[in-house]
Amino acid sequence: MNDHPSSKKTDVAPALPYRLAVGRTIPHDSAVGHVTGTALYIDDLPRREDELLVGFVGSPIASGTLDSIDCTAAEKIPGVVCILTVADVGPHNLFGPLFADEPFLANQQLLYVGQPVVIVAAESAAALHQACRLIKIQATESEPVFSIETAIAGQHFIGPRRQIRRGNPDQAIRFATHRLSGEFRSGGQEQFYLESQSAIAYPSEENQLVIHSSTQNTTEVQTMVAEVLGLSLHQVVCICKRMGGAFGGKETQAVIPALMVALVARRTGRAARIVYDKDQDMRVTGKRHPYLCRWEVGFEPDGVINTMKCDFFSDGGAAADLSTSVMERTLLHADNSYYIEHVEFNGQVCKTNYPPNTAFRGFGGPQAIAATENIIQRIAESLSMDALDVRLRNLYGTVDRNITPYGQLFSGNHLPKILTTLEQTSDYRRRRQQLVGRNAEDAFHLHGLALTPVKFGISFTSKFLNQANALVNVYTDGTVQVSTGGTEMGQGLNTKIRQLVADEFGIPYPAVILMATSTEKNNNTSPTAASAGTDLNGAAAVAACRVIRDRLSELAADVFSARELGFIPSSEHIVFANGLVRDSRQPDTGMPFAELTRRARLERIDLGARGFYKTPGVDFNRETGRGNPFLYFTQGAAVAEVCVDRFTGEMTVPRVDLLMDIGVSINPGIDRGQIIGGFIQGLGWVTTECLVYDSAGRLLSHSPTTYKIPGITDLPIDFRCDLFPNDDNTHCIGRSKAVGEPPLMLATAVWAAVKDALHQLAQDNENAGDVNLSLPATGEEILRCLTQSRVDQPPFL
Amino acid sequence: MRNQVLLFINGNPYRVSGEDAFLTVSDFLRQRLKLCGTKIVCSEGDCGSCSVLCGRASPTGSNEFHYLPIDSCIRFMFQLDGCHLVTVEGLAGNPLVADRNPKLTDVQQFMIDCHGSQCGFCTPGFVVAMTGLLETNPRPAVADWRRGLTGNLCRCTGYDSIIQAGLQCNSHNRPPINELYPAASMLACLRPTLDDEILIQSNDDPSVALTIYSPNTIDQVTAFLAENPTAKLVAGATDLGVQFNKGLYQPKIWLDLNRVGELTGIEINERAIIAGARATWTDFETLTQQRMPQFHQIVSVFGSPQIRHVGTIGGNLINASPIADSLPFLFVCEGELEFISRASRRIVKINDFYHGYKQVDLRPGELLTRIIIPVLPQQSELRLYKVSRRKDMDIASFTAAIRLDLEGAMIKAAFIAYGAVGPRVLRLAATESFLRGQLLTEETMRQAGEIAVTEITPITDVRGRVDYRMQLAKNVLLKFYFETRKELSPSAR
Repeated sequence: MNDHPSSKKTDVAPALPYRLAVGRTIPHDSAVGHVTGTALYIDDLPRREDELLVGFVGSPIASGTLDSIDCTAAEKIPGVVCILTVADVGPHNLFGPLFADEPFLANQQLLYVGQPVVIVAAESAAALHQACRLIKIQATESEPVFSIETAIAGQHFIGPRRQIRRGNPDQAIRFATHRLSGEFRSGGQEQFYLESQSAIAYPSEENQLVIHSSTQNTTEVQTMVAEVLGLSLHQVVCICKRMGGAFGGKETQAVIPALMVALVARRTGRAARIVYDKDQDMRVTGKRHPYLCRWEVGFEPDGVINTMKCDFFSDGGAAADLSTSVMERTLLHADNSYYIEHVEFNGQVCKTNYPPNTAFRGFGGPQAIAATENIIQRIAESLSMDALDVRLRNLYGTVDRNITPYGQLFSGNHLPKILTTLEQTSDYRRRRQQLVGRNAEDAFHLHGLALTPVKFGISFTSKFLNQANALVNVYTDGTVQVSTGGTEMGQGLNTKIRQLVADEFGIPYPAVILMATSTEKNNNTSPTAASAGTDLNGAAAVAACRVIRDRLSELAADVFSARELGFIPSSEHIVFANGLVRDSRQPDTGMPFAELTRRARLERIDLGARGFYKTPGVDFNRETGRGNPFLYFTQGAAVAEVCVDRFTGEMTVPRVDLLMDIGVSINPGIDRGQIIGGFIQGLGWVTTECLVYDSAGRLLSHSPTTYKIPGITDLPIDFRCDLFPNDDNTHCIGRSKAVGEPPLMLATAVWAAVKDALHQLAQDNENAGDVNLSLPATGEEILRCLTQSRVDQPPFL
Repeated sequence: MRNQVLLFINGNPYRVSGEDAFLTVSDFLRQRLKLCGTKIVCSEGDCGSCSVLCGRASPTGSNEFHYLPIDSCIRFMFQLDGCHLVTVEGLAGNPLVADRNPKLTDVQQFMIDCHGSQCGFCTPGFVVAMTGLLETNPRPAVADWRRGLTGNLCRCTGYDSIIQAGLQCNSHNRPPINELYPAASMLACLRPTLDDEILIQSNDDPSVALTIYSPNTIDQVTAFLAENPTAKLVAGATDLGVQFNKGLYQPKIWLDLNRVGELTGIEINERAIIAGARATWTDFETLTQQRMPQFHQIVSVFGSPQIRHVGTIGGNLINASPIADSLPFLFVCEGELEFISRASRRIVKINDFYHGYKQVDLRPGELLTRIIIPVLPQQSELRLYKVSRRKDMDIASFTAAIRLDLEGAMIKAAFIAYGAVGPRVLRLAATESFLRGQLLTEETMRQAGEIAVTEITPITDVRGRVDYRMQLAKNVLLKFYFETRKELSPSAR
């Protein structure tokens, strides 16, 4: 971009008109920093001379009471500056995003292995590690709760049981021609952001604290630090420049590390930094909730489901965190893409002795959708139908059969078109036909194929979170700084907002910069979550731009007015485009945007503004399970083909076809990245990512050596990803659609294809019962099912 | 005797001594040089975020460095004497020329253009690993990019855009590192020092000091070992580095083999492959592609390129893990190990070397020098199996080597070794003796499986449950049957 607006060109017509930024594939705004290693993350920030390194010692047991803490040896280590326990915290040790039920530092009760008990601050890493090793925690164990079943038996619950219900499911299921029931399990998932939890606190005047945090939620960190430390909100600033990944894992869980450095900084008056190592991070932070779903379905011979009943139980871990909201989203997505007349979805969060589980891309949606797609596969198996036909029979309609179980009209339904398009482009039917033959001929592998849809509701289900503010500062060289409460975790939020703002002022994209997120500029913000980052913060930024543009338009109207030619000042005719401001009635006049901003200052016109946006028309009553929780739905579908080794259970995914509806894309390159990245993350959830604990509740899979996220060779060799074009999402900024979470659930197709492959084996064997494939479908789980379906029959056929 | 490590980093010379020599390379870069582009995520060589290019003088004596990507988090500074290290900061323009607007390399530019970065934390590691791949393969195809980047984890992109970026690089010229950093002057400075013995102590106080001794010859090694029998030998450090980082192991005296040229090299004759103990897995990968396709398959999923570039066969053998990828193969080939101490030399059969969990027949003062792998006879049918949760860059849940020497359908001799089913890699004597003299049929192999499970003692751990491993122990025998007797495949019956 040579035509920088600060260049002193006075040509009215630039040589090359600026292209609109919105809709273009523009690289991530930090991409140059990423590839050169100059983009800074928390641990890269230069150390201040007085800075302390902070670490902690966690509970040695999963459940019990704290008897004593012996720090005498640790205190003697040279370089150790302070050692803090709950006694140093003050009266507000409990915190939490929904209920204040989570202790910051353990007080008597020990709730999970690794729960922070003692904070150590030292002048060197060596001293810190040595001190941590020398701290002795004595505790008395009590009976832990390590499974959802145990929690249910003992009524160890968090929050009330919630329900979404329609029709008369109890009666209707009795009249259904066919009934099936069962249990379905899905496992937890580690977010595995590459930058571990980290924070730095700088003490400041008047008891103020400045916290740099790798957080999706600057306001949450600010609020929790203020509450726990007994400060007022105006004494705490939280800043987040960027995160090295988050995926939900830094929506609430960035709070504990921030609290630790804040407490140390307050106690010592020195800067304090904490950076979890990967093992520690994985051991002590919450993950995607494991689920148990007890289900019952009634359906007709043509595959139409008339009743579906699901009891969802999630493993919430030892404190509420966001678990009840996650469960709420589960209940709101158990219909997935299907109209079901009689419905009862119940949800209960269980309390166990694991770290409090938390947000992770999809936020309860994946567990619901996987459970429902398992039911669909089971119906297809029992009717010997193609599962796609079962899906098509039950798909939401566009003119009728389009009310969700919670009462919201599903408008903008593209699913029928998406599914039929993908069915054709993926050659689904022909490949389906070939499958039986291929499986009969292949002595070594079983092949499976599945197409699954996704419908994902966009908006926070807590109404008050659906708001955002933005600060836009225009400078007199025509450049613009934008600050919002949205945080950049790699998803490209800042890039998209730059594009939106550049177009509002008709200036080139490089003339806009997104500033670090800070509570100093943007107060009372919502987490960057629920896929709604651009929807909310982009709209707020545009609102701020319009305020400034209106002021500038009035000035420009005066400047361009020519009464002698009959042009009275008319701000309605002022156009911001191609780096120029013009009066559309006089095509030959115009002024560079920079020149207008300089004049505006001389004319004492305010070149800064705050914008505010709140999502219209959304609300949900969680007591009744009714309402209009979502502004719109992002939709899509995937076809996956899998190949399973008959002897070892090892599985590969030779081909995947994705078709995703994202409205009018603000940045197709970024959106494609979200779709493919989300899908592959989902692929990990449904296949290789397996959390393993020992009998004492210690996580054994606590590093990439033992916890396997997808690697580059797990990307299907034949991988096709298309966008489904449409422009009817008038609700959202630029008719775009949120894209962060929905693609993750496309990976359900891979799991369903494994289930299909296993069924191909089982259906030849009369003695084989249902292969109750759990999620993730690891090689071990697949081999278990293979072995089970081969009982009493010649193997490997 | 030199008490410093000499190396170049991004074209600049460094002398590293004292405690700095014991830092991991990534800590040295980030803490001492403030080169924070190199990221640390796992500290165990599994994610590749810390990848740097390590250039070593070409063995041919040409005035060039040979660059390979390595994981800097599990490499120690004392292992880098005579190297030129290039970090991500060293790629953007040449820092020898004060260039304030760094000119991006092709890899960097296409990673930007193709949306190869999202959160950016893994990106420096990818950029370095991709640059490294292009150093040795100027036109990588899709498959090469996939194989070449198994050592780098990305949680955001799903990798597709990274492969696209790589493919874009193929059609462009890019400056090779030897052009970006002319090697001649660096080598001129380093060459005269390459034969020095190095001895560095971390501290002046001998009671707390760590010692590293880095010799050049086997004689120097064995002499030092005789005096210091507790010295910890270190070659690739791909396991030692992890143990060090996780606070599990901190030897007082280190003996670095990285400069002992006699331990490198692989020699092939009609009867055997004879490998120096320091031959890396990359050396084996190249060598076995044609000669031993079965072993090549296992080697190619051994760790990642970053690990294979430095990890040695000797290290894998001495580490004595029951899940070592190479062992079942070496067991069924009946490989032999050569040990040299100051006073003696002996040959040990690999099948006799392991006594229990991490227990080996290694005598004080002995150095593993060579591994002899007999070439299998024509009538041997060999299959190697590695079952892991993820195909690449994973540790095995179960490994097996099955070798049957056949005369027609008659099994003349059977050699079966399983890993991850006991405290050490096991030869299944009873199964082997059952198979000897039998006809190779599905039923024979099924019966063999029933015997095999009585010979193993797997445990339930993070990589799998007992019943899973038991089932695999049976199934691989059947898989062997079907793979080697395709004409008898079930559908044809």
